[in-house]
Amino acid sequence: MLASRGPLYLDPRTKLAMVVSSNLLMFLHAPASIEAVAAVLFAVPLLAGPRRGTGVRMLGLYFGLVAVQFAVAPLVGALPWLHLLGATAAALCMMLPCMIAGLSAVLTTRPGDFVCAMRRMHVPTVVVVPIVVLMRFFPTIRHDWRQIRHAQRLRGGTRNPLDALDRTLVPLLMNAVTVAQDLTVAALTKGLGADGPVTSLAQLRLRLRDAVAMALCAVPVVLALFL
Amino acid sequence: MTQEMAAGRTRAKLSVSDMITVGVFSALYFCICGVAMLIVNLCFGLPGTILLPAVTALLAGPVFMLLAARVRRFGAITVMGVVLGFVLFLAGHFATSLVTAIVFPLLADCIAQVGRHRNRIALMASYAVFSFGCAGPIVPMWMMRGAYVASLQRKGKDTATIDAIMANVNGTSLVVVIVATIACALVGGWLGLRMNRRHFAKAGVA
Repeated sequence: MLASRGPLYLDPRTKLAMVVSSNLLMFLHAPASIEAVAAVLFAVPLLAGPRRGTGVRMLGLYFGLVAVQFAVAPLVGALPWLHLLGATAAALCMMLPCMIAGLSAVLTTRPGDFVCAMRRMHVPTVVVVPIVVLMRFFPTIRHDWRQIRHAQRLRGGTRNPLDALDRTLVPLLMNAVTVAQDLTVAALTKGLGADGPVTSLAQLRLRLRDAVAMALCAVPVVLALFL
Repeated sequence: MTQEMAAGRTRAKLSVSDMITVGVFSALYFCICGVAMLIVNLCFGLPGTILLPAVTALLAGPVFMLLAARVRRFGAITVMGVVLGFVLFLAGHFATSLVTAIVFPLLADCIAQVGRHRNRIALMASYAVFSFGCAGPIVPMWMMRGAYVASLQRKGKDTATIDAIMANVNGTSLVVVIVATIACALVGGWLGLRMNRRHFAKAGVA
């Protein structure tokens, strides 16, 4: 999960610009060629860092779906039901650049840098704190989920869906309450409740590479606008 | 703090403990949203995504109701919606998820406030409105149809067939989605209140 700070480490704000750009492309119904270029461009932070595998998989999925669209297009005249396949592939293709940009933003950014960037953008504390807690809490949920499944198998399952919901959600929620209390104590100890300006260990600056990256992200949007 | 809650008074600001509780419950809600996405896509394929708010509403009631019971303050529900919208946006969903995630939870918070975060009917109504907060990701479904039709036209294909199929689905599907979401939210909210009463009130956490 941790991203190393190589020479290609971009500012989180640059990555946010990337996500916005991907959204604009989707909004503008960018032609397929621009969309494909954008998908590759947005995957660069993944490909350059330790998350290369994710980047390769997402791009593979994207171009696989493009291939499906091209394969289906000449046949739909004869077989109308293929429209369903084509429409599904087209819809996924349209969403994938956004997802790739989002994955690039989340997976290649350190949590501390993320917090620092949000504070710099004047996101209120009341939103920053829950977002950080949420990101930290996902692994806990996965762990709890496995434990609950394990316990359920051990004790034998139930056929009643209401009981099944009860037996899954009650332990999850109970644990959530406990963790929230523990985290509160920890956070208060670290001075989260204190008044006054907050300093940050992470030092963020928009560098030349950020400017270049933002300009690159703007290119597909401009092209989509004027073509 | 406990006395304040017991007295039903609501402070203007959320405390650190409230913020962390909101974060934890947002994570749970987000995971349930993901499970619901999996269910609808496995059962109905990609078009099934339009049922995402309904299935989420059915499953996530206990999360919402326990949060409402833990933080009886104006703002908690709104912040949860905003956080969820932001995470959905970062996870690559369309920016509409950010808009719906602010508007609907704010409304839901106002409704809960009317019932002082205690009235069961107000909480159920609040949850029904909140459930539309995760309708943002499905808005592009209506736009994608346009994109597909446009891409077919660019390739010089006849769009009459696809138009006929999709136009039929589109007119009624919006109504179906709204009705299904409200119905599922009422069931889910009732389940949540029941779980609060039967399990969490006894354990002293609700």
